[in-house]
Amino acid sequence: MADIKLSIKNLCKTYDKLPALNDVSFDVYDGEFLSILGPSGCGKTTLLRILIGLLHADSGQILKDGEDITNIDAAKRGMGIVFQNYALFENMSVLKNVEYALKIKKDTKDGAREKALAILERLGLLEHKDKKPGELSGGQQQRVAIARTLVLNPDIILFDEPMSALDVATRLMLRDELKKIQKEFGTTCIYITHDQEEAFALSDRIMVMDKSCLIQIDTPENIIDSPANDYVKSFVNENLRKKIDSLIKYVR
Amino acid sequence: MHSIKHKGLDLASKLIFISIFAVFILLPLITMLSHIDSAGIKAVFSSAQFVPSVVHSLLTALVATVITLIISFTLAVCISRTNIKLKGLFGIIFTLPMLIPSISHGMGLLIVLGNNGILTRLLNLNTSIYGFTGIVAGSVMYAFPVAFIMISDILKYQDYSPYEAAKILGIGPLMRFTGITLPYLRKPLISIVFAVFTMIITDYGVPLIIGGKYKTLSVLMYEEVIGRLEFKSGAVIGALLLIPAVVAFLLDLTNKDKGNMTFVIKPFEQSNKPLSKTLAYIFCFILSLAVVVPIFCFAALGFAKRYPIDLTLTIKNIEKALSMDAGTYLLNSLIISVAVALIGTAVCFLSAYLTARAKTKLSRVLHLILITAAAIPGMVLGLSYAMSFSGSAMYNTIAILIVVNIVHFVASPYMMIYNSLSKINENLEDVGKTMGIGRVRMIKDVFLAQSMPTVCEMASYFFVNSMMTISAVSFLSTTSTKPIALMINQFEANMQLECAAIVSLAILIVNIIIKAVFRLITRRK
Ligand SMILES: Nc1ncnc2c1ncn2[C@@H]1O[C@H](COP(=O)(O)OP(=O)(O)O)[C@@H](O)[C@H]1O
Ligand SMILES: [Mg+2]
Repeated sequence: MADIKLSIKNLCKTYDKLPALNDVSFDVYDGEFLSILGPSGCGKTTLLRILIGLLHADSGQILKDGEDITNIDAAKRGMGIVFQNYALFENMSVLKNVEYALKIKKDTKDGAREKALAILERLGLLEHKDKKPGELSGGQQQRVAIARTLVLNPDIILFDEPMSALDVATRLMLRDELKKIQKEFGTTCIYITHDQEEAFALSDRIMVMDKSCLIQIDTPENIIDSPANDYVKSFVNENLRKKIDSLIKYVR
Repeated sequence: MHSIKHKGLDLASKLIFISIFAVFILLPLITMLSHIDSAGIKAVFSSAQFVPSVVHSLLTALVATVITLIISFTLAVCISRTNIKLKGLFGIIFTLPMLIPSISHGMGLLIVLGNNGILTRLLNLNTSIYGFTGIVAGSVMYAFPVAFIMISDILKYQDYSPYEAAKILGIGPLMRFTGITLPYLRKPLISIVFAVFTMIITDYGVPLIIGGKYKTLSVLMYEEVIGRLEFKSGAVIGALLLIPAVVAFLLDLTNKDKGNMTFVIKPFEQSNKPLSKTLAYIFCFILSLAVVVPIFCFAALGFAKRYPIDLTLTIKNIEKALSMDAGTYLLNSLIISVAVALIGTAVCFLSAYLTARAKTKLSRVLHLILITAAAIPGMVLGLSYAMSFSGSAMYNTIAILIVVNIVHFVASPYMMIYNSLSKINENLEDVGKTMGIGRVRMIKDVFLAQSMPTVCEMASYFFVNSMMTISAVSFLSTTSTKPIALMINQFEANMQLECAAIVSLAILIVNIIIKAVFRLITRRK
């Protein structure tokens, strides 16, 4: 296996005494695609926000490339994040959205436009570069959000249910594309979803969470073959059934 | 870390804003109320004018509120439920009354229907407009556009689906109205009723000019303070006028989120029936006349050599008004209005940023203080300022007029920008933090840029209202800081209706220009 990119050690977080993360530890390998699965409210978003530095853990440690980044500013962690609701700058054109963060900083100002255009081209958005986000479809807007993150060259991208607001056809298309981009850029991806099929299709490894705890983290095959407990089992069975259903649909 | 620095800054800014608004909203009010003593109460309650004034106030406000609601409801139905043309034009006409001081509405009535009025002479009428009738009519003119906007806003959010279902079930139109529309409208309508009632009962402009001997509480308060310098008696009456305002405020508070929350499955279709459309045209036309005729009469009176004897065009009334320093006072008003628009808009934007985008418990406090300002009638605010800040450096300067106007009008624009900022994507701050975009930049390039139309609307609201207000400023202005709208009081007192007409027109024209400019700016974006 590749090097360890991110090492999460004993993260704990409570909101007003209610636990949201309970002693969570795991490693993420360089260039891998890790999905996080789990029911709503189990702490997935909380974990992601702590990883990128938008939220402080009560205790625990985050190491990136062996370096302790637990208390480093969110902007300096070399990570990007993509939200379910796109969170684009509605008042700016697609191109502006992508180049804005580069343009306002001295050391990235030069060549910002070219970089932004190249990313837009890669994501098939060039023809929309002068449109406002409001004029685009959901799938296109999410592409812009991904482009805006990619242009800053992060080595880790976090996704918080990025496809939940999209229709099935768009999801399938964007899913394939995401996988290609990840390979191409070699970016490590941590991807929250509650679509199990999506997790199985995209991931090198899957992490299952329940009630603020990490239950199992393993390859898709191992999760199916040896689920850690009944929860994972029922969950995977359901997933298999779904997969078979969709296969049947496909065959027909 | 960044976020800790931000939290400190947020906390400090919130505390600063809370202190500022506590000093300029709550403190004056408390000061005024604390000046009420048994002697003051006795003096007011035992005066011969008191009981009649209370009766007159209640009577005129009640009747005017009922008429206002009927008219504005009918108008709202005509505009939003029928497919008539010229809606844009009607929309403009029905905003005109909101661009002139209340006192001008009273004056419009005098000019049209007073003893020497244009229609009085033309139609040889001999009914008197002075007193009860005039106050009611003037108040309706002044209040109906506001009520119309509020009612239209609710009608817009009414869902057609229950109506459609009832129609299919064969339930008649009357039953549909009483069974579906009225229950739907009930809560917001109660809120509107109190808002209109408060607006009317706390206004002194209309009754002052057309009430004659028929005095209302607001006029009594005005005379106590302006005429007799009896601030303490004024405070007692002010406290009474505060009661309906507080009730209106509390009612509004309890069903504030209603309109925005309801989710329209199916909007109402606009009626294409010839009969409904004809009736709607007739109604809108008559109401337009009621709005436009007085304004034409201002012009006729202002520009006629000697109305109604000699109608030759002249500018002598302008010269006369100018000779009485109308130019200086217009300049005062422009300075005040521009300052209120700039500072008020900035203050509202920053406060709303703190309350809508950096939510904490303190945000709630700041939010509450800001909307409390809506509960203080202008005259009460003015008197409380006069009693609280008479020793301060800003007293007798234009600064106090700017501050009092900002506070007087702060609640509505604040709510506009609060709603608009609340609707902006909740993750934008996170995007900024993770991408290393500084906070000031985010505010400027993202939040301000995205809410530009609202910001323009706020600035225009502050400007127009500061230009036409006669309430909060009346107890605070001096001969050198006086805004032009207050000249109408003075002209009226001296029976110089021509000059008063000129001044009303000047205010109207400035406000129309400002409205048009802002509309052009927001259109282009
Ligand atoms: N800001 C917050 N304040 C209080 N409780 C929160 C907050 N954010 C999340 N929670 C609670 O923490 C738990 C985990 O939330 P979250 O991480 O958003 O879960 P998930 O993303 O898996 O749905 C939930 O019970 C949620 O209600
Ligand atoms: Mg979540």
